[in-house]
Amino acid sequence: MAALLRSARLLKCSPAVLLTLPCVSCRQYGVVPEQSGLVKDEPSVAVRSKQAQQFDWALAKLDSSVRRTGRVTKTLLLRIFHDICRTGYPSGNQALLLLRSCGSLLPEVPLAERVELSQQIWDKLQELGTTYDVSHYNALLKTYLQNEFRFSPTDFLAKMESANVQPNRVTYQRLIAAYCEVGDIEGASTILGFMKSKDLPITEAVFNSLVTGHARAGDMDSAEGILSVMKSAGIEPGPDTYLSLLNVYAEKGDIAKIKQTLETVENADILLMDRDLMQVVFSLTKASHQQHVPEIVERMRHERGYVPDAMNLCLSLITHGHEETAFSVLKSFTGLLVESQTSDSPDLGNFFLRHCANMDKPVENIVGFCKDLKDSGLHSSPLQFTLQCALEAKKTGMAVELMRSMKEEGLPLRPHYFCPLFTHYQKDKNIPGTLQALRAMQELGVASDFDTFSIYILPSFPSVDSARTSLKEAGIDVDGNILIAAELRTEASRGNLAGLFSLMSSPALPNIDLSAFRASLISGFRGIFVVLVLQKLPLCIYMTINVFIESRKCQIGSSLLFAENVAYFLYNLIDSLNETEVHSKEEQIREYFGLLKNMNISISLNIFRGIRNILESYQVPELVKSPFKTIRQYLLERALELKTQYETDMTPAAYATLINLCCRHDNAEEALKLKMELARKDSEATLDAQKYVALVRVLSKHGKLEEAIDMLKEMKEKDVQLRESTIGLLTLTMNTAAMKGDANTIRRLQETIFTLGLAKPSSNLCSPLISCYLESENYAGAFDATVEVQKQYNQMPKIHDLICGLVENGDAELLQKVMEFLSQERGEMMMLYDLYFAFLQTGRYKEARKIIETPGLRARPTRVQWFAEKCIAAQQMEPLENMVDMTVKLFECDRDDMYHYLLRLCKETNDWQKAEATWMKMQEENLAPRERTLRLLADILKNNDKEVPFEVPESLTPSMNSLFSLCSEDIDSAVELLESFYIQNTENQKSSISFVFRKVLDANNDAVLDKLSAMAERLCNHFASYRAATDLFLIYLDTGRTEEAKFLLQVPSLSNQDMHEYSVTTLLNCLDKDFSSAKALYERMQVEGVKADELTLKRLAQLYKEAGATVPFEEPPESFRFYADKLNKQRSESMEPADN
Amino acid sequence: MLHSQGLNMAATAAGKKVFEVFVSKVPWTVATKEVKEYFRQFGQVKKCLLPFDKETGFHRGFCWIGFTTEEGLQNALQKDPHIIEGARLQVQKNRKPFSGRKSNKEAEDN
Repeated sequence: MAALLRSARLLKCSPAVLLTLPCVSCRQYGVVPEQSGLVKDEPSVAVRSKQAQQFDWALAKLDSSVRRTGRVTKTLLLRIFHDICRTGYPSGNQALLLLRSCGSLLPEVPLAERVELSQQIWDKLQELGTTYDVSHYNALLKTYLQNEFRFSPTDFLAKMESANVQPNRVTYQRLIAAYCEVGDIEGASTILGFMKSKDLPITEAVFNSLVTGHARAGDMDSAEGILSVMKSAGIEPGPDTYLSLLNVYAEKGDIAKIKQTLETVENADILLMDRDLMQVVFSLTKASHQQHVPEIVERMRHERGYVPDAMNLCLSLITHGHEETAFSVLKSFTGLLVESQTSDSPDLGNFFLRHCANMDKPVENIVGFCKDLKDSGLHSSPLQFTLQCALEAKKTGMAVELMRSMKEEGLPLRPHYFCPLFTHYQKDKNIPGTLQALRAMQELGVASDFDTFSIYILPSFPSVDSARTSLKEAGIDVDGNILIAAELRTEASRGNLAGLFSLMSSPALPNIDLSAFRASLISGFRGIFVVLVLQKLPLCIYMTINVFIESRKCQIGSSLLFAENVAYFLYNLIDSLNETEVHSKEEQIREYFGLLKNMNISISLNIFRGIRNILESYQVPELVKSPFKTIRQYLLERALELKTQYETDMTPAAYATLINLCCRHDNAEEALKLKMELARKDSEATLDAQKYVALVRVLSKHGKLEEAIDMLKEMKEKDVQLRESTIGLLTLTMNTAAMKGDANTIRRLQETIFTLGLAKPSSNLCSPLISCYLESENYAGAFDATVEVQKQYNQMPKIHDLICGLVENGDAELLQKVMEFLSQERGEMMMLYDLYFAFLQTGRYKEARKIIETPGLRARPTRVQWFAEKCIAAQQMEPLENMVDMTVKLFECDRDDMYHYLLRLCKETNDWQKAEATWMKMQEENLAPRERTLRLLADILKNNDKEVPFEVPESLTPSMNSLFSLCSEDIDSAVELLESFYIQNTENQKSSISFVFRKVLDANNDAVLDKLSAMAERLCNHFASYRAATDLFLIYLDTGRTEEAKFLLQVPSLSNQDMHEYSVTTLLNCLDKDFSSAKALYERMQVEGVKADELTLKRLAQLYKEAGATVPFEEPPESFRFYADKLNKQRSESMEPADN
Repeated sequence: MLHSQGLNMAATAAGKKVFEVFVSKVPWTVATKEVKEYFRQFGQVKKCLLPFDKETGFHRGFCWIGFTTEEGLQNALQKDPHIIEGARLQVQKNRKPFSGRKSNKEAEDN
């Protein structure tokens, strides 16, 4: 063993070291991608897109569960699993996500069940065509370890080999761990031998496993000796090493050694988290040394995330059959739970009681816990809550036992407590179950009532008669009247008219309030109504009326009058129809109303109002006039405005151009002269904001500060509005002064800008003042300026630079002051992040780690992102890498985000080795990356002609890329990307890239615009893809470019045979109220034989009618909504691939 | 026994106004009887609709109480807190008589 270790290459835990070693190569993946040749049917683009969305959804679901509670419920996991299966093509990272969740994230699930679950998921996904790569095998291994599943590592390797998947460092590490779990040092050595022969580095994780391995083999000396082996190999034992040691002492029940080790850890300045100590608690309990648990629990620091972790510990202990220990742990942190209590009646420990119920713990134990919780004032009604859990889990035996305890405690028992049980039995018509529950009810002295009988009991029996017999045989007493009334309701809800009539005609019928079964009657007849209203209206009405005539005869309905009943019935029938039904049956309903009227059945005004309200809410156009909105009429007005502007005197404009030219040539004198001339000629003349600011800039640059300030004042007087870009120019102006160290100029400009309200104080606008001092390394000045700016404008720019400067200069005193100020202004958390980033930036990683490990610190995604973006922009790998590494245990840190930042930088620097090492780290961390992360990784590998060792999710959103390309002036590739996007995506694709068009238009880039409109035309003509043209058309209208819009309409195939309804309808929407255009469009459609859909025709007809013209075609008879729904339905059907 | 729909409306149709409150956070342990009994202290209770979920057999935790008089309604609204079996109820004026109409279809039989 020792020899093996000596000759093996050792790897320190620092990722920086790991990443610089050349041996972590991807040679080993060379053979893998052959598999992709065997891929079955390629999933369609639509399916792919769905997968991507679904992954994000599933990830978000699981993630939020893990974040909130540190666990996943089996129900949630199964739901996501089934949802993923339903789409047909589970992607690689979906599989990873699911597998990852089958281990210790399921504390409520027994180990064997977890193993079964992971196997089930593995097999099913494979069957569905998921390609497994080494990351999946590694994830599976991790679940084996977490679930204490005993398996043969050699078989596992063989399985990988037969699947043509090469194991990597993480695989071997986990196999070693598996051998060590069972104390098989020989097996572990064999794997170590493999690693050595492949020149793979031996990391801390391997040593940690060996500690466990030796101890489990009964050799504590060797276990302890591993630490010195590590040290001699230059690897410092980390928190995980000590945790391994603590766990093996715990297994031996050696509390003295545990305490001693904890002291060593403390002295070595190593931080063990509460979560680590909880593992020790778990190990102690499992090895029946729970008497030592309190000593460990006492040491917990209650850091951020403690409560969910402690709850999970309790759940795990209960699952493993140690509910007594779990209860003592629970009692140790109820104080922390109290703080979160808002209600008046405490209900602490619900999660505990629920899990006990789910795990079928003995009722006497549960009752004991309940008593304790109640007596100590932690829970006001623990027994009732546990009963609720037992009922929800349909555990009749437990529920009855709990009710017995409740009765003994003098708590009331009520008939509806049994309803959940009856519901359960009713579902599979389980008569013995129903009778058992009824007997328990009787035994506990709970009387069943009418509701329980009619809703929950009778439906389980084939008939009321058989129910009567069974109940009698089972010795259960029931009130006869209750039975009849219940029977009445059952028949009504079944829609059994004949049965209902005969029951009501029976002389034995007691006096029953109609309201008792009116609702049933309505629900029972609803189905009939919908069918009959279509064909046999008179019959329907006949029956409607008859039911009530009968009811009147039988003197049911003692409280309500006959006519009211009919009307009320009618109201409920209408109400029970959903919107679509009302729309599709509009005609029939009208007819029905007419018939009722003919039959002289009047409806009271109130009821009529109720019905009308419903119909109105469904927007039935006959009752509700739904005026169409004027959409884009204002566009024409804007165009007119522009024209009048052109007709005005041109001279000031010429001046403006000239002034601007002077500014560009840095000629302050001439610019000022021209400006004054212009003012003399025309005191009203106004420059645009950009030109004013250019003038301010050139003036202040050349020492004409007062003149510059006058310009700012003039801007205010003339109400010149500043845009984002012009404000940027102001910042630039002040930065110029900062470079010269001219703080006075900056202060004056700042003051003027903010006092006049030309721009709101922003971090950018305030930063030049700080930069001014930082430039000259005047940190005290910079700090004073920071305080000044914060007090005056509530901004804190350049704080990172200031702190970095102080850290580098070693000015502890001022640093302390800055920290105090920050803490006071922005809170301690923000201050810590500021300090953390400064340490990272200046390469003081040890200090940085201390900061980020501050108890209670949690992830602040926006702050982390800020620093990451900064590193990426400056191509600083080391600080970024260190941040990613240090935040592994940071509470609520999104790990995928972190690795994504890292990979983005790898992409920038085209560093495939680092990218690949990042992937390895992700596996080590057992992370299921998002698709974008995998794509990025694959991109980097592909660009370097490296094989990609996993399945790459397809990209479907080129928009950002194309926008990016456009910005970087690479028009041709942008157009290419866009074009492929439109060709690939159907017309129905919801995502529009119109914003790209808008950007181009905003930028006034005519060259690009020409290419894009050419592309739109090409897409229409060659690919019958009209979305691009439609997008462009809308943007044209939106931005007032009516001529261009009209020109686009001339594109021959845009009004071609196949022209998509979408476009026509959209065009019509835009031309709304513009009758002549609509008419022209219709005529052209006629000439060119364009087939319009019904919605379009309906819309056209409306325009004709509104203009007072005769509609030249047959107007579709149904409502707008009807055709809109129809169209939507057609679209969504054509959108759904056949696999659904 | 109860109907969730158009409670107000039916009553108005009958020429009798009902003064309704909407009650939420009803503990699972109490049913119509207990809720009705509790609200009786504020005035005569004409209606009590506590919908049950037929899938689970539990009620949905909210209900409507109809008083015969405006006074009953006001009495109920003025009392705070409303505690039933140790649990605090939320009681508010039922502003939208037709709200929740579609959502508790299954419950109407109760």
